[in-house]
Amino acid sequence: MIAIESVAHRFGTLLALDGVDLHIAEGEFFSLLGPSGCGKTTLLNIIAGFLAPSAGRVVLGGRDITSLPPHQRDIGMVFQNYALFPHLNVFDNVAYGLRVRKTKGAEVRQRVAEMLELVQLAELAQRMPHQLSGGQQQRVAIARALAIRPQVLLLDEPLSNLDAKLRKQMQTELRRLLGNVGVTTVMVTHDQEEALGLSDRIGILGAGRLQQVGTPLELYRRPRNRFVGEFVGHGNLIDSRAGEAGVFLANRHFAAPGVPLQLASAYTGTADALFLLRPERIRLSPLTAVATPFAAASNSVTGSVRDASYIGAGLHLTMVLAGGGELLVEAPEASFVTVPQAGTALHLAWDAEDLIRLPVVSGEERS
Amino acid sequence: MSRVSSPGASLFSWFLLAPGMLFLAAFLVVPAILLVVLSLHDVDGMLMVLPGYSIAQYLAVFTSSVYAHALGTTLWVAALTATLCVLLAYPAAWLLVNTRSRSWRTVLYVILISPLLTSVVIRTFAWIVLLAQNGLINDVLRHLGLIDAPLALLWNMKAVVVAYVQVMLPFAVLPLATSLGEIPAALPRASQSLGADARHTFLHVVLPLSIPGMMTGAIIVFALAAGSYVTPLLIGGRLQPLLPIAIYQQALQIANLPLAAALSLSLLAVTATIAGLMTYVQKRWERRVYGH
Repeated sequence: MIAIESVAHRFGTLLALDGVDLHIAEGEFFSLLGPSGCGKTTLLNIIAGFLAPSAGRVVLGGRDITSLPPHQRDIGMVFQNYALFPHLNVFDNVAYGLRVRKTKGAEVRQRVAEMLELVQLAELAQRMPHQLSGGQQQRVAIARALAIRPQVLLLDEPLSNLDAKLRKQMQTELRRLLGNVGVTTVMVTHDQEEALGLSDRIGILGAGRLQQVGTPLELYRRPRNRFVGEFVGHGNLIDSRAGEAGVFLANRHFAAPGVPLQLASAYTGTADALFLLRPERIRLSPLTAVATPFAAASNSVTGSVRDASYIGAGLHLTMVLAGGGELLVEAPEASFVTVPQAGTALHLAWDAEDLIRLPVVSGEERS
Repeated sequence: MSRVSSPGASLFSWFLLAPGMLFLAAFLVVPAILLVVLSLHDVDGMLMVLPGYSIAQYLAVFTSSVYAHALGTTLWVAALTATLCVLLAYPAAWLLVNTRSRSWRTVLYVILISPLLTSVVIRTFAWIVLLAQNGLINDVLRHLGLIDAPLALLWNMKAVVVAYVQVMLPFAVLPLATSLGEIPAALPRASQSLGADARHTFLHVVLPLSIPGMMTGAIIVFALAAGSYVTPLLIGGRLQPLLPIAIYQQALQIANLPLAAALSLSLLAVTATIAGLMTYVQKRWERRVYGH
């Protein structure tokens, strides 16, 4: 549906986008996720036509649109602040794109009614934008963008201006709505929860490059490099040193050097490596337990609690290992009777498969 | 938003306002009251102000076809000037708002404001130098052989309007630039993304949203033009049927001060009513669009 081919963009001496290649399939919900300044908004503006790329092509439905002005692109856009026309009421806002296309009056009325029905705002058609709540304005913006039946819908940080509770609600709403319409959607966001929850696929942008493209699950479970591993979710990064008998955790994490690291059989290399360990994969058990309840293949170490915070759904703990290294642990709420005191010693265990190997010189690092 | 809350602070803020308020009271409010009182007196044959109140001056103002004609002409010229100023201000304001470079924008603002640093009289004299029988324009045309006899460029209402527009243009540009600058960049973009080209976007988004700026500029220029007498006197001559010229003549040449006062107040009342109506329309529009 959309193909981004070697798109680069330079602002003065700053390289905002550095050769991005991306294909987005028809009907797909695709998110561009990255920290601020990663180039995601630049890429969105290039797709929308507000910015001409310094190099590369944008192809929409087989047609090269790189040099087309925005109004000829047939792309709907929902702006971060919704950008509703303040002098037009809800009906006229939604009708704007249809009237530009010289659609007949009766058809305009029918189509606008359809759209307002879709976003459940039919009774507010005569309101002015300033009389609407943030969530309602957002839905008008979506109705307005969809009214013209665009080939692609672009969403620019669509939920960032809503408060936390409304954001969750709108996220569900957005999925229902766009699921019904089935329009190809590209969303830009810095909020990973939003991206993970809404997208079919996500492209992680960092330092002007696509670091990885994949489904939410792939990105979380199999990050390709350190940038993706650290950006998506929380993670513990663990250095390792190759030794004669296999790979060992690096000394700075453990008192007794030579604790062998149990790795999934896929990782057979003997080179130094960097591993990512998700905090919720670490299981905790009291030292008093006679035998560890974990399988023999598990990695097991001891550590003491430095900090524990109770967040309702679970516990976030910072565990200090004997060598001074720290591991973040997310434990389920039910795993403790009381919140453990600082200083409590606990067993930490995780399965070999939970260690995700990352290249030591990661892809995002360029000299 | 009231930042001044405690009684002491509010007293202090009145203290800060006092010098300005006193100045306004002494040099605006008191003279205005004196003007009202003066206008309510009749004069004798020697134009001496008679004791005792009378509405004779106002009767003279409103029954005389000369003054009615002068009032009509004054309002028409002011309205024409305001319209031309807003039209001509639009491209300038657009340029000001869309100039990216800070230093260039400063240069443009200086160019815009600099005429205001010269007195109106000087600026008007410049027009005389240009338009007079032996002025610059006639000289150039004659040397080029385009005309035999000098054209009568001065002493007519067209010249007055041209001079007005030149003198008052900055007052239309500034509010318009403010208004245009307040339109979020995302709005024209939203219009484009919905398929509108630049022309459609301008007509349906930018132009309506700049109405407050156009109205403010028009009100300022209208009020200035309706009350100005130096420019029409110097460029149009004393025979132009404009109310400010009539007031000037009654006050300083004929010395019928009560009649001059009544004419001034009548002009003030009409101008203020029109400006008030325009402001009302503007405020209504703003309330509809922005809710406040």
